[in-house]
Amino acid sequence: MPALLSRIIRDPLTQKKLRRFTQIKRGYWSFLILMVFAALACVAELLVHNRALIVSYEGKWHFPTYGAIHTGRDFGLDYDYEVKYRELHDHFRAEGRGNWVLLPPVPYSAIENSYPGETFRPRAPDWRKGHYLGTDQINRDILARLLYGFRNALLFASCFILLTYVIGITLGCLMGYFGGWFDLLVQRIIEIWSNIPFLFVVIIVASVIPAGIGMNLWILLGIVVLFSWTSMTYYMRSVTYREKARDYVHAAQVLGAGTGRIIFRHIMPNILSTIVTFIPFTVSGAISALTSLDFLGFGLPPPTPSWGELLRQGTSNLNAPWIVASAFTALTVVLTLVTFVGEAIREAFDPKKFTTYQ
Amino acid sequence: MDDAILQLNDVRTHFPIQQGFLFRRQVGTVKAVDGVNLALKRGEVLGLVGESGCGKSTLARTIMQLVPTTGGTVVLEGRNLTACSVDEMTVVRRDLQMVFQDPYASLNPRMTVFAALAEPLLVHGVCKGDEVVARVTELMKTVGLAPRFMQKYPHEFSGGQRQRIAIARALALRPKIIIADEPVSALDVSIQAQILNLLSQLVRKMGLSLVFIAHDLSVVRHISDRVAVMYLGKIVELGPAADVIDHPQHPYTRALVSAIPTANPDAERSRQRIVLAGDPPSPINPPAGCAFHPRCPHAQEKCKVAFPPLVPSGSREVACIRLGEI
Repeated sequence: MPALLSRIIRDPLTQKKLRRFTQIKRGYWSFLILMVFAALACVAELLVHNRALIVSYEGKWHFPTYGAIHTGRDFGLDYDYEVKYRELHDHFRAEGRGNWVLLPPVPYSAIENSYPGETFRPRAPDWRKGHYLGTDQINRDILARLLYGFRNALLFASCFILLTYVIGITLGCLMGYFGGWFDLLVQRIIEIWSNIPFLFVVIIVASVIPAGIGMNLWILLGIVVLFSWTSMTYYMRSVTYREKARDYVHAAQVLGAGTGRIIFRHIMPNILSTIVTFIPFTVSGAISALTSLDFLGFGLPPPTPSWGELLRQGTSNLNAPWIVASAFTALTVVLTLVTFVGEAIREAFDPKKFTTYQ
Repeated sequence: MDDAILQLNDVRTHFPIQQGFLFRRQVGTVKAVDGVNLALKRGEVLGLVGESGCGKSTLARTIMQLVPTTGGTVVLEGRNLTACSVDEMTVVRRDLQMVFQDPYASLNPRMTVFAALAEPLLVHGVCKGDEVVARVTELMKTVGLAPRFMQKYPHEFSGGQRQRIAIARALALRPKIIIADEPVSALDVSIQAQILNLLSQLVRKMGLSLVFIAHDLSVVRHISDRVAVMYLGKIVELGPAADVIDHPQHPYTRALVSAIPTANPDAERSRQRIVLAGDPPSPINPPAGCAFHPRCPHAQEKCKVAFPPLVPSGSREVACIRLGEI
């Protein structure tokens, strides 16, 4: 597989398409911005978290973000649970003994009540305290929930693409290549399968999962993938049919190449570049699916940060418009960027611009 | 025939036509190749001519076992290919290679020349490592391409160059037989000559046997030792190229030959064109008897009875019962 990918990337036709893509400014910039967002989400702990980046205590440096959990006693406090770094920060500063704490720019976690002991209510953005987008109805920082929610959505979308494409491409390719009764049988199974109402299955599965396990990202992913791989098979099936009838496949057969070699070295490279055009639309589909499931309450369980859950909170707390505004803006911006990228890729890969065959 | 390297015995390739949604039933058969007997001698160039749709390409694909045979046997050096398993066939393919009509379609657009030429070597494990590079270099030189183009892709070449690559690919395994399915009809006339010369050169140098399929008689005359004329899935005339084309005997061959334009304007003006009436009949429902009788200027009642077998007539074989009369 890596060899296949590297061959596709080194291929001058692909290079040409990539060059065209970088020339489509809107899509290219959207792609760069999305990549920045994704990179930020990958290192979210360094930007938004309640653990300190660096603690310098009695001449020694500690890095709690990715390191071991430190209890209060480690830094001379009188409790055995995990250090509250915001308090530690203020404490060291008040002590003035040369110890210091470097907090992330937003020192709150996504699942933490940032006003402990006070009433639960949405709080408006407070720049002085570091709640740049305010808090939700149980005092959690919205920026933190947006960022970690985005990370979950990205993880979900990437795994979703990987799984649906692997299943869809493999099965579709086999159907197209072998044809005959195998093709007919699998097609009928797919038709029946894709008629099962997806939302009901999610509700049923969610209600039968034992409490000990509970709904989580992977189970949800499994269910969504189970009902989404079908669409790719149709496309793959028809393009494989088309490619199979081309002379270069016959030429490979004449040379004595086996079925696996023909599918992976001849047909796949000619098909896969067109599949790239689907990826952005699958990403936006996956993000929307996850968000709407969360919005309906059938998605990820609380307290997992998610955009759908934020939207739901926002619509039921319209007197706290910062919740719905931030969730809505984030969703719109990301989906729009993804769509711009998709349009640009589609245009860059438009076979009418340059033909592979003459 | 001891010197025959490839022997076709009553080869038939029929394609079923199916209809119906759930319960598919066969409503007819396209008899693309219908009872072909042919022997290819060692080191011989056999031209196969006929109009579009007469089954030339299907015959080529049948010999290559790219389409399943309905009946008859294809015997290569004593081995019946129609009964070979997939693995046995892979071994046979070393001796039997093919050049396709359209070099734009027969080369994978995403494979470099090197990858395309190395593939047969790797698939058959003929050589590895540096030997592959050496062999590919040699192949490119053989077909008149500069080895420095090795890492280029098919779209960077002209049609003639691509066909050279396709020929080099067919030569990679040092086959004994090459089936060339209209190898020049997709090329410009000026390039055609180059490719033809290359092919006949290779045949002489390497002792290849070549089945050369074309619909252009002058091209076939130029390159072939013997010519087989096909009409509607059957061979109607078979013999030495010069005899068949200069003195055709079968009425269909005569019509075909009369359609060759000549370069000399005077001769061109006096050329007697035999214009055949109607279109070639459908291979789904071929006429009874001699398939050519509905269009034949010499047809009689007896032509509608049975298909005439190929009978020897001097240096050649002709399938026409009125041969002596016309």
